[in-house]
Amino acid sequence: MADQGGSQHGIARTSRARTDEQRTLDLERIQKYHLLEEEIRSHVSQHNYTPHVFQLTSKLLKLNPEYYTIWNVRRRLLIYGLFSKPSAGSLPSTASPTSSPTATTTTSSAACSSSLSTATPPAPGPQTAGRSGTTADDNNNTEETHGAAEEGNQQNDLNIIKTELGFTIPLLLESPKCYWIWSYRLWILQQAIDRLPVLVARRIWEEELGLASKMLTKDRRNFHAWGYRRHVVEQLESSQLGGKSMAESEFEYTTRMISQDLSNFSAWHSRSKLIPRLLDERKADDAAREMLLNEEFGLICRAINVGPEDQSLWYYHRSLMLNLVGFVGHPTITPAFSRDDRVTYVVREIEGIKELLEDYDDVKLIYEALIDYTLYLCQLLGRQPDVTEKQAMTEWLAMLKKLDPMRNGRWNDLERDCGLLNGGRRPKVVSIDVGQGQGQGE
Amino acid sequence: MAEAFKKLPEKLQLATSAHVKYIQSLDTRKDEYDYWLTEHLRLNGLYWGLTALHLLGHPDALPRAETIDFVLSCQHENGGFGAAPGHDAHMLSTVSAVQILATIDAFDDLEKRGRGKAQVGKYIANLQNRQTGTFAGDEWGEEDTRFLYGAFNALSLLGLLYLVDVDKAVDHIVACANFDGGYGVSPGAESHAGQIFTCVAALTIAGRRGLVDADRLGRWLSERQIAGGGLNGRPEKKEDVCYSWWVLSSLEMIGKTHWIDRDQLIGFILRCQDTERGGISDRPGDMVDVWHTLFGITGLSLLEYPGLQPVDEVYCMPKSTIERVLGR
Ligand SMILES: [Zn+2]
Repeated sequence: MADQGGSQHGIARTSRARTDEQRTLDLERIQKYHLLEEEIRSHVSQHNYTPHVFQLTSKLLKLNPEYYTIWNVRRRLLIYGLFSKPSAGSLPSTASPTSSPTATTTTSSAACSSSLSTATPPAPGPQTAGRSGTTADDNNNTEETHGAAEEGNQQNDLNIIKTELGFTIPLLLESPKCYWIWSYRLWILQQAIDRLPVLVARRIWEEELGLASKMLTKDRRNFHAWGYRRHVVEQLESSQLGGKSMAESEFEYTTRMISQDLSNFSAWHSRSKLIPRLLDERKADDAAREMLLNEEFGLICRAINVGPEDQSLWYYHRSLMLNLVGFVGHPTITPAFSRDDRVTYVVREIEGIKELLEDYDDVKLIYEALIDYTLYLCQLLGRQPDVTEKQAMTEWLAMLKKLDPMRNGRWNDLERDCGLLNGGRRPKVVSIDVGQGQGQGE
Repeated sequence: MAEAFKKLPEKLQLATSAHVKYIQSLDTRKDEYDYWLTEHLRLNGLYWGLTALHLLGHPDALPRAETIDFVLSCQHENGGFGAAPGHDAHMLSTVSAVQILATIDAFDDLEKRGRGKAQVGKYIANLQNRQTGTFAGDEWGEEDTRFLYGAFNALSLLGLLYLVDVDKAVDHIVACANFDGGYGVSPGAESHAGQIFTCVAALTIAGRRGLVDADRLGRWLSERQIAGGGLNGRPEKKEDVCYSWWVLSSLEMIGKTHWIDRDQLIGFILRCQDTERGGISDRPGDMVDVWHTLFGITGLSLLEYPGLQPVDEVYCMPKSTIERVLGR
């Protein structure tokens, strides 16, 4: 299974031997930890959904933020104890389709008997926790009091949500890769959507985008942070937060990230996904589309001229080239291009890359791109490589084998598939059809 | 090839007996604080250790009866398993439980003394979002392709894959594909070796591996090998033993294992061993753990390192187990 934490990464190997003193210290810590754990368990088994138990979970989670069951206890404490109960006809809270996956809501913990998720109790009586001590009187049904009570409820819930977001920050700073903290934080943010007025919830999510940016300033390629940012943006764009597309501002964001660090594949990737959307939203005509394609080629080629050894750059360049030769099932930048247009662009890129060899004749990625793009060209033209092309590819392959012997198995396969072996078979060029990934069966 | 290995300096041999002892020692560390801090991974850890022992040719190094008792003690009435007694049920620990029981041929015990296969299948199937085909890890968490893979893995071992909407799940995986042939954690996310493994393996279990663009994916995966022989998980990142599994198993599934340098990778994994106290770490000289120990060994097994049992590249379990359970 995929990494869920708990594994050691980048910690220097040391002897496990402990002094007697260290061992005693460990035993004391273990005892304290177990006492705390036991206390929470016993409260939960008695359905004590109180602020006191809530504080105990804070204490335990600070000791061990990976303890997912305790995060779940905390969620239940909020739902059955501390959050306001939505009055009839108010917010659709849990019925919201986004609050949790439809199917999973049916796997409630109700059936678990042996764990902390012990049968969901009936909601305890009047809720006072975290509020000024007043609750809406059921008999007092007039619109006014109803409205006031609801406002009070929302204030209570807003306070809780803010406190919870604050609670997870130091834990995230200490364990930025801990899945369970992120998962809990997202759940809290979802509560904002379910329980608060749209504008209030939106402000909370906007602050979250600030956090995502801050994380990416600290670690520009943090995979989780990019994914998190994408999720936050999706929510901010959604109708439940009264949002609209953020493609333009996100596109600008990738430009900023790239200008700080060309070698940021995550930013390039994000850009490649945003461009087709951006063009649609701009209602860009063919000329505007071509202009953007030219700008992107200009940007990436300048970057490659400086750092041709950088894989990230070539991946983006290839994604632009695939836009020309067609990547079935995915949006393209210039759908109106004729075959001649496409050929012109591919030839232009091949010639540009050949020029790179004058300065960098020992960079394998250049040779790889040349072979690739020559095959793209043949594919566009619907023919096999001619004699000149074959000769060039043979030379480039020889360089690849010399510069990158680790992947000789791949170069040998490529040589065979391109028909470059003496008396080779019919080349496999046509089957390098870029849409083959979308086919069926094998 | 065996000849070549004999020439390796002694410290570059696989320290089998040290690794066996290391794994056996893991459950004797109850006086260490860390033992308790990692309780939320107990069942997963048991699966990692047990699988490593089977591949090392020491299937009996952990007591079978106690193993079954412990696994069953983690099960909830709803069929799901928690990481340890008293921990909430979760997809990841449920998958580990199924994998452990399959490996030690104990589905009968699940039927007689546990809540039964059908209930486990029901628990997992209920975690599928029928609209999108994806799976959540539990009633609270987010959806993620690793849960989808876990569900397919466990359900197919139980013979219950029909309980879920396989086509919808497959559509979701296809939507996660990128132009580089890889897969991201969700549609729009960049390719990552761990996610590639889960997506390609899930497609394989579903009988839909033809949907993978093997040439393009193979290229991306083979670029993961960097100077020193180790594999990384994304462009311009550091190498790590656990990617010996995510990358290599994916290459194996698409028939491109020969696109990387096997001897150099074997050398890298062997250099990550603690040959005295046992165990394998993420990089040479780092702290060992059972997770990297398993994925170092599965990597070596896929590379046909002498003396290891063959590992199944889709299930990350002994091939012999998969043959027995799936009747191949
Ligand atoms: Zn690792």
